[in-house]
This record gives sequence, structure tokens and C-alpha cells, in this order.
Amino acid sequence: MEPTSNIRSKARELKSRVSPEIEEAARGLGDLNTRVVGFIRQRPGACLLGALAFGFIVGRIASRR
Amino acid sequence: MAHRRQSGNGSHTSHRPGIGRRVEEIGSSAQHLLSEAKGAVEDLRETFDFRQRVERHPYGMLFAAAAVGYVLGGGLFTSWTGGLVRLGIRLAAVPFVKNELMNVAEAAFGGLGARDDGGAGKASEGSDPGSEGGG
Repeated sequence: MEPTSNIRSKARELKSRVSPEIEEAARGLGDLNTRVVGFIRQRPGACLLGALAFGFIVGRIASRR
Repeated sequence: MAHRRQSGNGSHTSHRPGIGRRVEEIGSSAQHLLSEAKGAVEDLRETFDFRQRVERHPYGMLFAAAAVGYVLGGGLFTSWTGGLVRLGIRLAAVPFVKNELMNVAEAAFGGLGARDDGGAGKASEGSDPGSEGGG
């Protein structure tokens, strides 16, 4: 009984300490995702060409190895 | 020589418009070709509708473009592709493994909690036997 209650209280404490940071990180990642998606939607051709070129270069490097 | 004779015959003036006409024809056919190419590009754009697809699936389209570039770059039949495929399989298996681990953890903690509750119940029974009858 004693060890499990200790573990539970520690887990609760850890959760209360970590959860705000996780929420903040999640908010930051959501903002970043929104920005990236907005950029891709504004310039679809450039982004597709960039991805194509990136894949081409990676494929080239992979084929040389 | 016949050509010269013709040009000396006064047809010299009619020869220049011939060249001009040919140049015009070439120009018009080039314009026609250009407009046809533009039409074909427009048709292709409408068929694939890249803008709409990027609107709907931005990351998927970027990934697809990178994959096409990778294949065009000659990276298809390489050891990297094997590694990428293996990594993809492992990543696809992550949710299943996570579910299994969550189930195991829930079962373990549930059992532990039930044992604690049982112990607490027994303790309360032992310490205050009249409380159950009152509640």
C-alpha cells in the first residue's frame, strides 16, 4: 500500500510538473505546423520543385554509395 | 540557274515575298505549336490539379515529390531504400506496439489498484466495522 501510494504521488507530481511544458511544446509545434502548411499552400510549385530536387539529390547520393 | 533566270525575268520581286511567306508560315506554325503546348500544359495542370492536391495534402504531396525525385535520382535499387523500407515498417508497427504496451500497463496498474482497494477495504473493515452498516 505504502509503495504504490508513493509511486502514485510521485507520478502525480511529475505530471503536474511536466504537463505545462508539454502543452507549451504542443502549442509551439502546432504554430510551426500552421506556418509551414501556410507557406506550402502559398507557394505550392516552389515547394514541390524543392522537394523533387531534394529527393533527386538524395537519390543521387544513395546511388553513388 | 533556272532560279536565276526566273529572278532575272522579273520574278525577283515575287521571290522575296515567297521567303517572307515561308517565314510567316514558320512563325505562325511556331505560334500554333506554342499555343498547343500551352494548352497541353493547362490540360495537364487541370488533370493533376496540383494546387488543389497541395491544398488538401501538403505534406503528402511534398513527400510524393521527394519520392519521385529520389527515384529519378537513381536511388530506388540501393541499400538506402532497403533501410528506409525497414524503418517505415518499424514506424508503422509503433502504434500496435504502443497499444499492446498500454494494455499491459493498464492491466498491471488495474490489478495493483484493485489489490490496493481490496487491502484498504479490508483495513477499513478491520478498523471500523460499524461504518459499513451505517453507510
